[in-house]
Amino acid sequence: MSWEFIGKYMPMYQRAAVLTLKIGIIGIAFAILVGLMSALVLYYKVPVIKRIIKMYIELSRNTPLLVQLFFIYYGFPKIGIRLDAEICGVVGLAFLGGSYMAEAFRSGLESIDKIQEESALSLGMTRFQVMRYIIFPQAIATSVPAFMANVIFLLKETSVFSSISLMDLMFTAKDLIGLYYKTTESLFMLVMFYLIILLPVSLLGSLLERRLRYAGFGN
Amino acid sequence: MRAITKIKRLAAVLLTMVLGFGLVACTDAAASSSGKNGSFRTVDEIKQNGTINIGVFSDKNPFGYVDENGKYQGYDVYFAERIGKDLGVKVNFVSTEAANRIEYLQTGKVDIILANFTVTKERQEEVDFALPYMNVALGVVSRNDKVITSLDNWNKNDSMIVISGTTAETYLIENYPDIPLQKFDSYATAKEAFENGTSVAWANDNTEVIAFSLQNPGYTVGIPSLGSSDTIAPAVTKGNTTLADWINGEIEGLEAEQFFHADYDATLTATYGSEYKESLVVEGGKVK
Repeated sequence: MSWEFIGKYMPMYQRAAVLTLKIGIIGIAFAILVGLMSALVLYYKVPVIKRIIKMYIELSRNTPLLVQLFFIYYGFPKIGIRLDAEICGVVGLAFLGGSYMAEAFRSGLESIDKIQEESALSLGMTRFQVMRYIIFPQAIATSVPAFMANVIFLLKETSVFSSISLMDLMFTAKDLIGLYYKTTESLFMLVMFYLIILLPVSLLGSLLERRLRYAGFGN
Repeated sequence: MRAITKIKRLAAVLLTMVLGFGLVACTDAAASSSGKNGSFRTVDEIKQNGTINIGVFSDKNPFGYVDENGKYQGYDVYFAERIGKDLGVKVNFVSTEAANRIEYLQTGKVDIILANFTVTKERQEEVDFALPYMNVALGVVSRNDKVITSLDNWNKNDSMIVISGTTAETYLIENYPDIPLQKFDSYATAKEAFENGTSVAWANDNTEVIAFSLQNPGYTVGIPSLGSSDTIAPAVTKGNTTLADWINGEIEGLEAEQFFHADYDATLTATYGSEYKESLVVEGGKVK
């Protein structure tokens, strides 16, 4: 193991980690937004839009991120839509993550018994108030484990970004191996940097899970 | 209660760390046992087994590619098939990418790399090259409306496409560190991105950029020869002298029948015409 090599190329990994995190965070934020809206549409059974959302969820969950990225990065320019590689990464992550997040939130929303909604409505609360004060807090608590699993899953999925020429951690390691043939050092740094990024996320996840554990109705 | 969960969590973190390190240690051990100390197959072992594994490109027309029938074709493949025939074994083609070529040899995934592999000093430290069978230099292709003929005074907002793990990448990093590189991990994706207008130019082996400009109207090779002229040769795992010697004997023996000229006629004429024949082909391992 050459520590000199590790020291010399550490900044390259740092840049890659920043890129991975940047695209990861923005992409996941959009994924949460898409997921939340999709879950609400499904929960309230909004006609027509519900169908579209269901189609989107099946399309997005049953195609690999790599294929989606190829479509966005190499396919879209053919019909005149030319996006920067980083934006493609964000769009791809939001497209894939949106459906996973939607399913996580839906599982939370559906775990709340209808009787709570009916009771609240009969007490004179508006539909918005029912969602805001009764259903949402409980649903979120139920969704957190699935939600955190999705966040970690999506962060790890960023490792396919190399196929659209984004210098993420995975591509940096592959590139260094190809350039200088230092396999052991490159892979060592790769594992370390993924751990540095993902361990705090897992820890944050379990913290969040405990904080949000409201007592649900009836248990 | 709190203290116990804390200890549990700490234990979990430590365990993850240990597993992470263990994984690295494993790759370390694997690299040293099969790579530099040599876990490769000698000629006799290959003959005994009846199959030789040869690493070739699957997306680099006309050197190594898979045709519409799923069959490997190209200049490198033509030679690979001859090696199989003369060794009396079946050839198992293993698709490789530029950045994997050395890895594949060091981990024993293939016996020979025949994937447009340019001989360089750095690579010679990692693998053993046999005699060369082709000449090569670097070239830069750009669009007809903005032909790039020099790399000096590069506009920093423009990027140059390279394929990760190629000599073009190494050359540009060393000699033109200010040119922003857009790196791709395969020939196919680099080609696609270049056609989509992602970058103003593409640097690669001149054989490849010339082939690209001939196959795709609208592109010109503004810089046909960049850097030193090099050779392309078969590579084997470091220390596999029996196989390297056998290939050398094969290449020298094939001179009598002008094998590589026939190879050029069969695989490259369709792309290059006969114009480049004498400058590209190396016969009998003798560079003129």
